[in-house]
Amino acid sequence: MSQAAPVLKSAPPASTASSSQMIRVMGIVSLVCGLLIVTTHLGTLEPIRKNQEILTGEAVAELLPGVQKQVTYYAQASGELAVSNGSATAPAGSRLIAGYTASGQLLGVVIEARERGYADMITGMYAYSPEQQAIVGFKVVELKETPGLGDKIVTDATFLANFRKLEARLDDTGQKLLHAIVTVKNGTKKNPWEIDAISGATISSRAVGRMLHKSAEQLLPVITKHRGRIEKGE
Amino acid sequence: MSSHSHGAVTVNSGPENAEVFFSGLWKQNPVFVQALGMCPMLAITNSVRNAIAMGIATLFVLVCSNALISMVRRIVPRQVRIATYILIIATFVTIVEYLIKAVSIPVYKALGPFIALIVVNCMILGRAEAFASKNTVGKSILDGLGMGIGFAIGLLCLGSVREILGAGSFLGIPLFGPNYQPWVLFLLPPGGFFTLGGWLLVFAWWKNRQRRQKDLALGARA
Repeated sequence: MSQAAPVLKSAPPASTASSSQMIRVMGIVSLVCGLLIVTTHLGTLEPIRKNQEILTGEAVAELLPGVQKQVTYYAQASGELAVSNGSATAPAGSRLIAGYTASGQLLGVVIEARERGYADMITGMYAYSPEQQAIVGFKVVELKETPGLGDKIVTDATFLANFRKLEARLDDTGQKLLHAIVTVKNGTKKNPWEIDAISGATISSRAVGRMLHKSAEQLLPVITKHRGRIEKGE
Repeated sequence: MSSHSHGAVTVNSGPENAEVFFSGLWKQNPVFVQALGMCPMLAITNSVRNAIAMGIATLFVLVCSNALISMVRRIVPRQVRIATYILIIATFVTIVEYLIKAVSIPVYKALGPFIALIVVNCMILGRAEAFASKNTVGKSILDGLGMGIGFAIGLLCLGSVREILGAGSFLGIPLFGPNYQPWVLFLLPPGGFFTLGGWLLVFAWWKNRQRRQKDLALGARA
């Protein structure tokens, strides 16, 4: 390796260092490093949380235009719904963010979902309207899909038009979807619960379909069960 | 730049401050001359924003780790020096990870695992071993600044070309209007290699030209 111009050759510290000396030095350095990390962690805790909140808020506003008020719920594995009390430690379960107009009318529920795409996990957020029994908006939050191909799911207007009103109706039992949400080959969409794939980005389009189907099948029954509570914002 | 401190050894011997700083920027540029840190270089330079963020993160880690390593250089036994350097570098990488998250989460997500991989950027360990472990704190900071900025310039050179050709934009601002068909290859890994090769060619050509002109000038005088 090439080195920078002449360097000062200070005598290397005693090459006959004892084990205890090595342990001592490394211990001290580790202690200093540990303190530095803990200080930074504590110092950045609040800004990071705020950043995340702003990011979520922006996504919700984009998915539910006209939203004025938000309430965060957590759907627990037992099928119960817990309200976030605003503390830093969130309860377990999937996060549901209900958005309301200024007058308190429920616009929809924003849900975060993840699914394996072509390159890595794709994270998305979608808005579900209990009133229309449909998905009324979808947005990719994070992806590592191939530029120019898979990443079209973020921007392709025709693809995003699928989610203006994508049917997500529960069957009579209220436990599963009446029609599975599926991605179909580009140009063959016939039913309101089908997603028209982007040609050249089939794998990523299908991942979005699977993501929405899995998440809707799991969470829509919970939302429907507690619809009254969510509408009142309790 | 020109004053090489050969000759009498004084307490303050070693490279001059200005020389320390500028050698990283140009003569010893980590990207174009030493070809170090190629992994993050090729992986995250698909946009100018990522290149700048990575450049700043690496600069921060390099300056801080150089400073701390230089501070402890006399007390660290030779046998555990590499372990100590890695420990110090990893500490600052963790810190920079928190800081990036605090500044912008989208940037943090875009850089992904490559923030953590700064730990194994050979340029940083290289500077610790080759420079900070033998020089004063002040000079080590200058060296870190020079090398870090040199690295950032390299990232920016790659990032600009790749974003302009691959996405038709600069820092997210569209340059060529809606009819531009992006040259997507440049956002993909092969585009990284092509662009790096292109820049290395430019630098080699420029260096050759300078040498030729010097030879010509000498020849004319003789």
